[in-house]
Amino acid sequence: MTTLEVRNLIKKFHGSERSAVNDISFELSEDEILALVGPSGCGKTTTLRLIAGLERPDSGLIRLNDRVVASDSVFVPPERRGVGMVFQDHALFPHLTVFENVAFGLRGKKPDEIRTTVGEMLHLVGLLPLSKRYPHALSGGERQRVALARALAPRPILLLMDEPFSSLDADLRTEVREHVRGILKSMRATVVFVTHDQDEALFMGDRLAVLNRGELEQIGTPEEIFHESNTRFVAEFMGDSDFLRGRVVAGGIQTEIGLLNQIVDLPVSTPVEIALRADDIDFEVDGSGNSLIVGRFFRGAFNLYRLRLNSGQILHAFTDHTKILPVGTRVQARVSAEHPLTVFSEYHTV
Amino acid sequence: MSISPRLAVAAGLVALFVAIPLVYIFIRAMGAEPEAWQRLLQTRLWKLLSNTLLLVVAVTSGALLTGVSMAWLTERTDLPGKKIFRWMLAMPLAVPAYIGGIVHLALLRPRGGVIPQFLESVFGQPVPTPSPLGFWGAAFILTLFMYPYVYLLSGAAFRTLHASLEEAARVFGRTPMQTLFHVTLPALRPGLTAGALLVALDILAEYGTVALLRYETFSSAIFVQLSGRYDRSAASVLSGILVALAIVILWGELRLQGQARFTQMESAWRPAPLVTLDRWRVPAFLLVLGVVSASLLVPFTVLLIWSIEAFLDPQAMTVLFRTGSQGFGSYVWNSLWSTSAAAVIAVALSLPVALLAVRYPSRFSRFISRLCQVGYAIPGVVIALSLVLLVNRFLPFLYATPFVVVIAYVLRHMPQAVRASESALNQLSPSLEEASRTLGRTSLQTLIQVTLPLILPGLLAGGSLVFLTSLKELPATLLLRPAGFDTLAVRVWVWAGEGFYLQAAPAALLLVLASALPLSFLLRREQIFK
Repeated sequence: MTTLEVRNLIKKFHGSERSAVNDISFELSEDEILALVGPSGCGKTTTLRLIAGLERPDSGLIRLNDRVVASDSVFVPPERRGVGMVFQDHALFPHLTVFENVAFGLRGKKPDEIRTTVGEMLHLVGLLPLSKRYPHALSGGERQRVALARALAPRPILLLMDEPFSSLDADLRTEVREHVRGILKSMRATVVFVTHDQDEALFMGDRLAVLNRGELEQIGTPEEIFHESNTRFVAEFMGDSDFLRGRVVAGGIQTEIGLLNQIVDLPVSTPVEIALRADDIDFEVDGSGNSLIVGRFFRGAFNLYRLRLNSGQILHAFTDHTKILPVGTRVQARVSAEHPLTVFSEYHTV
Repeated sequence: MSISPRLAVAAGLVALFVAIPLVYIFIRAMGAEPEAWQRLLQTRLWKLLSNTLLLVVAVTSGALLTGVSMAWLTERTDLPGKKIFRWMLAMPLAVPAYIGGIVHLALLRPRGGVIPQFLESVFGQPVPTPSPLGFWGAAFILTLFMYPYVYLLSGAAFRTLHASLEEAARVFGRTPMQTLFHVTLPALRPGLTAGALLVALDILAEYGTVALLRYETFSSAIFVQLSGRYDRSAASVLSGILVALAIVILWGELRLQGQARFTQMESAWRPAPLVTLDRWRVPAFLLVLGVVSASLLVPFTVLLIWSIEAFLDPQAMTVLFRTGSQGFGSYVWNSLWSTSAAAVIAVALSLPVALLAVRYPSRFSRFISRLCQVGYAIPGVVIALSLVLLVNRFLPFLYATPFVVVIAYVLRHMPQAVRASESALNQLSPSLEEASRTLGRTSLQTLIQVTLPLILPGLLAGGSLVFLTSLKELPATLLLRPAGFDTLAVRVWVWAGEGFYLQAAPAALLLVLASALPLSFLLRREQIFK
């Protein structure tokens, strides 16, 4: 069943040149976690705030459980949408205890019921013993979990999370996100999760939506996004790819490091770019080779080499950790990948 | 969040309420008969203008010099006793300048002053002493009671300035003194300029002190036109010019507001090392002690002695403790209820304005917020004139009621409430309000359950400021009060004017103590004194 439907959403802020959100559409089914990912200013937080009702869209449609909450003629205020939200700064009410914070969204229920629900939620996030504390007496991770419990307590149709881990220390972050994903899955929550961190998006999302400059570049499973990038932006943003320029010829693509034996459906001599990850490249020492080693980074199990081609183009290559060559060595680089590579013409995949 | 039309309308109405008296003054000034303009231009205008500007320049420079040097000595040197001095240097804010003026005048008056009489009895002949009357006297007295504005601002700036800034200057080869003048003071400049402009606005508005010390400025001339000669068109013309002058200064101050800080407290902040005074310790100590004595200790002691004498004097006691509407209790009650009402109303009115300005920043909301701060530029005498004219014409049933006095306090001191509310809201993350909305509260419920409880301390601070300044307000109260509506400030002024110092002293002392209470709350809250 579709929980959230977003159609042709557009939002432009006063005094800004381009739209913060430009014609975005997607759907989200029950129990699914969607990660909205993109660089800062890509419109992911605005999309989230539009769904929450904290911003009013210029045009477009938002439907929650088949009820229109925003359209050209309808605007349901946030308090009547039945969504929960976890804020980047957690936004715990400093004048209320942990218990009162979690109970805040349960107004109108019987006192018994409130006590039980709050107790359950705090137990779920492992903070039951701290229910009488005030937010200022909690650690960053604890605040994060109170914010989650508070958002989940009223059993929202949809949970929105705005960079919820960004205020935590890096070492704490990995631990907390595993814990949080476990809680969300055990509650069978439907979630839209915003982050600028690719790793976090790959980890949290059942599906990922990659946004750039207010537009939806690609939506799909983590595997699809990572291996079958639709656009050059997605390939660049999601994985550490180098882009090698080439030209379509009869037998494949002619590049600076040789002919790539991959047939593309484009007229001969069309300029293209090939996305190459470090495991797609290999090289041999060769005094008259096509590139120069300009850096080596030891990564434990392997070495990462940085190569500069004669044109100045930079490529990266993994080698065995025993293969150690000094900077300045001339080498012959070649494409070693045995799977088809992603090729872009004018930004889009071909 | 998208802007709420209800809020915009509420803020707009507040701005309208504030703007009407101002606009009306200009209308009346423009509409005055040409003869009134002619007469003033030919006779008094230039003299008044030069008198006023001269005093503004003198007091502003005096306050800057005193305020900055006192702040530097107490914050950045090893001055002995600086902790207690920090308090005492701020406390003159609780002493209305005209009360300080009354005390100094009683002590130093050329004929009959306490000090000249004492010297004459010792030496057997009159000894020339400096007179507190006229320009130099007014400049001296006003500097004594205005410098705390600059002192507090520069003290806060000295405290928050990052140590590494000065250390960097030292590493690049500057001596401590060069560092002070090339790095520290320039870094404080925006804050200091803002403080100086506030002092200038206060001097333009000052009535009590200049009238007492017989130095004629715009404010005192308007007062005379209004109370004595009752020439409203001359008063309107003078008011129009005075307000135009003040608005120029206020405009500069508002422009500085946003950029008033170069320095910021960072997480790695640490206090700068103290300067060792060495052989300057004693002179510096005496200098600070002198300032504290003249502005706080002497006025307070004299008022205390007079009050004790008054209690021992049966005649003064009977006057003081007459029952009914003429007794001491009724002055206290009148003062308290009118200023409390003004504080509550000003804070309540400032809320929609601050909410609009902070949560929905736009050209419109900034305009509304600035319009609501125009009270800084309307001296008490001008507000009185405007209200007299407006109430007479449009709301005659309010004429000669205490409510007009309360309205005058609100109009005049609204800017302090607006600024306090805005700064309180600025410190509150909007995500708290948004969280409340997503948890099922309407915007009004959110305001009551989340926003108000959290900004309450800030609102109290704003209210305290309005209370503090309204309590010592003199000219508007004198001109607008109905017969028999005596406040502490009015009684002190009237009795002292008639020479009954003993009778005036208990009221003055109470006024100072009642002001000291909210002031110490404010100082503590701003963490000026740890």
